[in-house]
Amino acid sequence: MSSQDEDGTVEPGHNTAEPSTSSSNENDETTEDIITVTIGATVPTGFEHTAAEEVNEKIGVDARISKDRGRIYFPITTDKLFQVHLLRSVDNLFVVVEEYDHYQFKESKEETLMEMQQLASKLPWTKALEVWKRNGTLKKKKGYRKGGNGIKVKPNSEATDAAVADTEQQELPQAASAAECLTKAENTADMETSTQELEETAPEAKPIKFRVTCNRAGDKHSFSSNEAARDFGGAVQEFFQWKADMTKFDIEVLLNIHNEEMVIGIALTEESLHRRNISHFGPTTLRSTLCYGMLRLCKPQASDIILDPMCGTGAIPLEGAIEFNSSFYVAGDNNDMAVNRTVNNICHIQKRRAIKGSASGLPIDTVRWDLCNLPIRTGSVDIIITDMPFGKRMGSRKKNWDLYPSCLREMARVCTPGSGKAVLLTQDKKCLAKAISRMGGLWRKLHTVWVNVGGLHAGVYLLKRTGAVFGQTPEDVYESRGTVNAEGDEKGDKELS
Amino acid sequence: MKLLTHNMLTSHVKGVTKGYPLLIKQATEVKVNEVDFNPQFVTRMIPKLEWSALVHAAEELGQRQDLPDELVPEYENNEEFLKKVHRVLLEVEVIEGCLRCPESGREFPISRGIPNMLLNEDEV
Repeated sequence: MSSQDEDGTVEPGHNTAEPSTSSSNENDETTEDIITVTIGATVPTGFEHTAAEEVNEKIGVDARISKDRGRIYFPITTDKLFQVHLLRSVDNLFVVVEEYDHYQFKESKEETLMEMQQLASKLPWTKALEVWKRNGTLKKKKGYRKGGNGIKVKPNSEATDAAVADTEQQELPQAASAAECLTKAENTADMETSTQELEETAPEAKPIKFRVTCNRAGDKHSFSSNEAARDFGGAVQEFFQWKADMTKFDIEVLLNIHNEEMVIGIALTEESLHRRNISHFGPTTLRSTLCYGMLRLCKPQASDIILDPMCGTGAIPLEGAIEFNSSFYVAGDNNDMAVNRTVNNICHIQKRRAIKGSASGLPIDTVRWDLCNLPIRTGSVDIIITDMPFGKRMGSRKKNWDLYPSCLREMARVCTPGSGKAVLLTQDKKCLAKAISRMGGLWRKLHTVWVNVGGLHAGVYLLKRTGAVFGQTPEDVYESRGTVNAEGDEKGDKELS
Repeated sequence: MKLLTHNMLTSHVKGVTKGYPLLIKQATEVKVNEVDFNPQFVTRMIPKLEWSALVHAAEELGQRQDLPDELVPEYENNEEFLKKVHRVLLEVEVIEGCLRCPESGREFPISRGIPNMLLNEDEV
């Protein structure tokens, strides 16, 4: 039974985080002690409850939602650590070193910063560093790829050594071809990761490189996040004898301060997981974590037909086809580049799945169409989910005044009366709210989630399609364009609801 | 374009009242891609489909595989049947070809698996 040297306190200058030769071999998991830690996760603000639900569902523990928006915390035992990488609603993960709910900062800046420096040597680093280390080997063993999703690879305990080796070997050529599609930043980072891994397995101890990232929010603090990061970081460096490096670091220490709440953590994800599905970006590609949050809101059921009539690069329907795969997705856009990018993104994922040996086909299709005149049978769609033009990065405010009501009408036509739903993301909240109230006979607002998209305050609107048959309510009769209805007569003897 | 999508697509050219189903013509490239079989998905989807349109489209592509003209009762328990439906709904894909409006004759091209349903200004 291999146990780490420490008994709880970490001696300065002793590189406990360095993988020693005795404990860094592949089949270590079964002989390590199981420890419980708290994991922190950053999620798209507004979707904290959704993320907590997912944690409950997939890991079986209750998550705590922090007062600091966009963060949730939950306990986990190290034998279940790989499960955190299955979460689709989290952007970044970290392991908590220490949490303070009501930290009393000193009055003056000097005293506060001095205290932070002293804190560095007093914190219980051991367990967190152990988890960080295990997380590192976890990623290596499973061939975890940055920006990729390790779900399809079986947990190590079930796979034979040969299979594990095959997976890792196969990852390399795939990474090479995928690299053509990845943006430059991701490509470079991929290469950085691999060189660091090689360094770590060298028998001779090389100094650990680290950096400190500080997020501070609150109006009663006497110091800035830069100052805190600098001073705290300096003390951490002294204590561990690590090397500070802003870009090529092994360990990222997080210092999160929100009013009186302070959390110190160690990052478990090098790069945000939120771009996982997309290899071909467009000008406004949505984070996959945000897509996941929106999809969860509408609770896709088996055999639901789900449309994204303004799909852009296809981020939303693609996330759906992967994660809520008992429904069928039709992604559409009027823009030629958009539909081509969507198809490219789908192909990319399918190739990845094919390499891992699973059925590569996804329940998704792409069409080029005009969203105000959809070539879709009336009442044949269960859910409409889309990211509507904001008017800042795409389209314009003026265009939205005309576009939004037309969209809503056409969406109402294709959506199943009574049971249909729509989940619409927009920053132009005023315009959409007005359009919805004008279409009160067809759409009813159920719920709104306020989110932050690229620094812009946006809203996700969950709407329910009323039972009114299209062609009967005042709104659509007056403004009707006489759209083709393959189902028969629009003007049947049906009651208004 | 998968046949499930085709089942929902309709011609929306101005003045056309019988624009469904679209005829599949010149399908020069058709692929069959493996998709995970989910019996619940198929069972629940069948009642939502225009069955004859599906069978006709499959036939146009030479992929009918003895699917019946009409649904047989108790199909929910017939796994062999469900698998055939699964195949034509999700696995058969038209990559190159076109869709023709049965009333106006207007053709919508399919390229790279993407049907282009955009109309010209005078057709709207």
